[in-house]
Amino acid sequence: MPTASSRPSTALSPTSFCTNCTRKGIIVTSSEFTLPDVGEGLTEAEIVAWKVKPGDEVTINQVLVEIETAKSLVELPSPFAGTVTAILVAEGQTVDVGTPIISVSSGVDDAAPALGGTEIVAETVDSASLQSSDTGSAVLVGYGIKGHVASRRSRAATGKAAAASTSPTHIASGIAASAPEVAPRPSSVPAASASPVIAKPPIRKLAKDLAVNLSEVTPTGLAGEITREDVVRQASQGTLFRNIETPAWGSDREERIPVKGVRKAIATAMVSSAFSAPHVSLFVDVDATRTMEFVRRLKDSTDFAGVKVSPLLIVAKAMIWAVRRNPTVNAQWTDTEIIVKHYVNFGIAAATPRGLIVPNIKEAQELSLHQLASAIGQLTITARDGKTSPAEQAGGTITVTNIGVFGMDTGTPILNPGEVAILALGTIRQKPWVVDGEVRARFVTTLGASFDHRVVDGDVASRFLADVASIIEEPALLLD
Amino acid sequence: MVQLLSTEGTLQTDDTAAEYLPYIEALSDDVLRQFYRDMVITRRFDLEATNLQRQGQLALWPPSHGQEAAQVGSARAARAQDHLFPSYREHAIALIRGVDIVDIVRLMRGVTNGGWDPAECGNFHLYTLVLGSQALHATGYAMGITLDGETGTGDLETDSAVMAYFGDGATSQGDVSEALVFAASFNAPEVFFLQNNQWAISVPVRVQSRTPLYLRAGGFGMPGVQIDGNDVLASYAVTRKNLDEARSGQGPRLIEALTYRIGAHTTSDDPTKYRLDAETASWVAKDPITRYVSYLRGRGEGDDFFAASATEAEDFSADLRRRTLELVAPSTDLIFDNVYSEPHPVMDVQKKWLADYEASLGGTA
Amino acid sequence: MTEELPLAKALNAGLRKALADDPKVLLMGEDIGPLGGVFRVTEGLQAEFGERRVFDTPLAESGIIGTAIGLAFRGYRPVCEIQFDGFIFPGFDQITSQLAKMTSRHEGRVIMPVVVRVPYGGHIGAVEHHQESPEAYFAHTPGLRVVSPSTPNDAYWMIQEAIASDDPVMFFEPKSRYWSKGPVNFSASPSPLHASRVVRTGTEVTLVGHGAMVTVLMQAAELAQNEGTSIEVIDLRSLSPIDYAPIIASVQKTGRLVVASEAPGSVSISAEIAATVTETAFYSLEAPVLRVSSFDTPFPPAKLETVFLPDADRILEAVDRALAY
Repeated sequence: MPTASSRPSTALSPTSFCTNCTRKGIIVTSSEFTLPDVGEGLTEAEIVAWKVKPGDEVTINQVLVEIETAKSLVELPSPFAGTVTAILVAEGQTVDVGTPIISVSSGVDDAAPALGGTEIVAETVDSASLQSSDTGSAVLVGYGIKGHVASRRSRAATGKAAAASTSPTHIASGIAASAPEVAPRPSSVPAASASPVIAKPPIRKLAKDLAVNLSEVTPTGLAGEITREDVVRQASQGTLFRNIETPAWGSDREERIPVKGVRKAIATAMVSSAFSAPHVSLFVDVDATRTMEFVRRLKDSTDFAGVKVSPLLIVAKAMIWAVRRNPTVNAQWTDTEIIVKHYVNFGIAAATPRGLIVPNIKEAQELSLHQLASAIGQLTITARDGKTSPAEQAGGTITVTNIGVFGMDTGTPILNPGEVAILALGTIRQKPWVVDGEVRARFVTTLGASFDHRVVDGDVASRFLADVASIIEEPALLLD
Repeated sequence: MVQLLSTEGTLQTDDTAAEYLPYIEALSDDVLRQFYRDMVITRRFDLEATNLQRQGQLALWPPSHGQEAAQVGSARAARAQDHLFPSYREHAIALIRGVDIVDIVRLMRGVTNGGWDPAECGNFHLYTLVLGSQALHATGYAMGITLDGETGTGDLETDSAVMAYFGDGATSQGDVSEALVFAASFNAPEVFFLQNNQWAISVPVRVQSRTPLYLRAGGFGMPGVQIDGNDVLASYAVTRKNLDEARSGQGPRLIEALTYRIGAHTTSDDPTKYRLDAETASWVAKDPITRYVSYLRGRGEGDDFFAASATEAEDFSADLRRRTLELVAPSTDLIFDNVYSEPHPVMDVQKKWLADYEASLGGTA
Repeated sequence: MTEELPLAKALNAGLRKALADDPKVLLMGEDIGPLGGVFRVTEGLQAEFGERRVFDTPLAESGIIGTAIGLAFRGYRPVCEIQFDGFIFPGFDQITSQLAKMTSRHEGRVIMPVVVRVPYGGHIGAVEHHQESPEAYFAHTPGLRVVSPSTPNDAYWMIQEAIASDDPVMFFEPKSRYWSKGPVNFSASPSPLHASRVVRTGTEVTLVGHGAMVTVLMQAAELAQNEGTSIEVIDLRSLSPIDYAPIIASVQKTGRLVVASEAPGSVSISAEIAATVTETAFYSLEAPVLRVSSFDTPFPPAKLETVFLPDADRILEAVDRALAY
């Protein structure tokens, strides 16, 4: 039987094979002699002169044909005994090594070549030629250099894929077992690894740029690695000005800080605000998972490539939208009149090395999402650099304070003087939440807001906060 | 040049021949017949192997056609305890020392890089494909025999000697010169057997040496003798004498056997590109087997003997053909096993990787 | 029992023990007999064991290796000395075409228990061909084992273990360390022949090297300590095979690896280590693996060798670069 090997049949095979014959070789109908490589890497030859014709009886080693190769003129002796049934290539033709050139019908006697041997040679040639084929450079003696492999050997879907996914390094398997990076990919998201941190170099760089400590990040990658999103999420929640170490008290028993400058201004503003406006605070927990997804998609979008996208952006947009529906939260109390502003100068409380400042984005209601993101980014940089001007701090109409960056859940913010509402954005983290009757891990945050009860009653306050929450729960409502 | 048998097959009677004739007279008729059978079988299977290559069964075959007398005579002169270090064309010697001819075929087919165990094949070492390297191995071995005290005791039956075979081309390699230096300096019990078959692929011997090669021996401080390499009797007698002198503590010596590579360098070669037919024809006229037939007929051997020898050669070759076609591909384990004698982590890892990789591919049941 | 010995004397003691323990051990090479070797490593051994066991050869490196192969066939365990690193090349063919492949060619029927001792490396102010670091050619040759001791204690034990191995071993001796003294513990071998070893613990950067470089690595680590950087130093000891386990464990701890060697950097053993560690410990790396090597030029005239060869400053420069990531 012809070989059952799955390896691609090779045009290089210098063997003969028998068709329609049994294992015992009782009756063999026809054998073909394929053109061999007679000179260590030859690929073709020209048939110069046939020494036999159909019908001739031939014996083993009888010269059948004269061929011309790149190196020399060569006579080919017959591998078979029998009768010539067909000349398959005409004189003057050039054919590739492996092309059948003559067929001979063999008799019963032991002159017929053993099938097992020829098949095995084919197998040998196949495997050899597979290695040498497409490179063209590795010439195995006697098997020619012409590649013939038309397709790549298929890979099994699973199972051995793990082992095959590593290269044959020198590392003994003992080491491979202990290093997490060599483990096969698990199918489920693993729990956060104790150590070591698994992160690829680009992610490490991103973490460094965003001042994120990788060991504090919860990895969500399939192999337990920290993904880009994980780092960004941590960065948007992580503090920018976190203490790195616990400072020593020093030898003095007390430290006396003069009240002046920014500190004095803050104190004045807080007192005026806290002790003139009756503050009421409301809180709501909201499932922010869709906001987190929305933020991730925006980040992946090329449109938002240049700006920092964070949940704060969505909260700002939500507040501006909610202001339109509840205008009185965007107002100012004077003794004689309540001034409801039909524009939003959106303030963001910023902690700077010099103290708390509240710069605002003018006419924020006119800004697209992209412009708003850009404005927030610029505002943050300016504040961090300590270059926020008084004009930028004046004229705010509503404020957000992001205490989530400090890891706080929520708080009772004090109104920015001249405003009647302030929202505190807490940290967004995974918590158990009930979805469709089942407890699931969702990104949950608490929105807290304080209002001036001289202007804003509970129902308005509640509706405003509920509006903001509804956006956080479903950002698509912004399409309204 | 020492010649005992003329081209026509008659024994020489000059003084030089007379010195060696006693070695021939000591041989029985059976031994003399054996020389013939050795040569005829070798020539026949050498042709069969060439044909097998032309039929795609071997990658290549280096024919020994024409050099049978040099090889048979010297091989029969060696004693059982001697170690022989060949190059890659000494098929007759391999056969005589007990190598299964299929094992040489396995080497030329790409199934093995070695083929046999010298310890089980009359101490006939593996073929060495880097020219001349074996001369140093042979010399080192001979030095070892000396260290063991197993040579030069005066007992020819047990004292050991070493024979290193190489060709005219290899004599230009530095390793051969270094082997001659070491052999002389350490008085190695060694015979350097140089088969000068006139050609190193396409380069004639005059490019390898401006002096008859056997004269080099004197430069290294050892005796050298030139023989008619197509004369099996000279080949036997001179080698026998030199081996026994070497194993008697008289140090190394060199024999240059003048012969001719009737065939190509290997089956990849085309001698018509660099040799004249007339030259080849002149050497065919000095064929070692033809003259030996005349010699044996002169001694009374009849047609029956020659016919029986021809049949024996045919059967031998048919058996070679049959067993060649039965050869199986080696296991991939061959790649990794025995690279080192002691356990090696890289071998284990890479062997396993290949096994896993092969298992991961779609394939045959 | 421990004794303070220079590395050359430790080798001498190890060779003496090997000769005494096994009558099949031979020493062969140029000038190793009465002279005791140009570095005196074989001093006194011919006198003690005789010319049969310890002998001078003709001046032919290929001849030395080739005849050693023949002697190995005969059952001996030859220890060849190549006089200087730069002179190994005439013997390169016998080492790579024959010695390395002989066991494989014989399908395991013969062993090649040949040791090739090679004084190597720079820092001795010598002329051309006397300060080479050719280890990579041999580490790249399958069938050979390649080792290099850095201390007298390792020299004493590793030479014996190399001789006891049934495989061919290229034994590279750091000649600039021949006269440096160190404790030799005659009672127990410190490690298996092919084991690498942490010789200084640290937490921030891992330094890897072999031979004379280990001393330089220790100097660099000491200087770094003064600057507040904690460095771990690993002595490779074996170049083929390389024992990666301690290196990987160290990189998992420090996240940064610098490999140093006297050899030119391109296509070097350091490059191999960098590739393998990067592949195996990818997620542990805070920085790319850095290599500190000599330049890709022939060894310059000796007056320039201190600029050419890596010193502690060059190593610390790489350490700084690694830490900057």
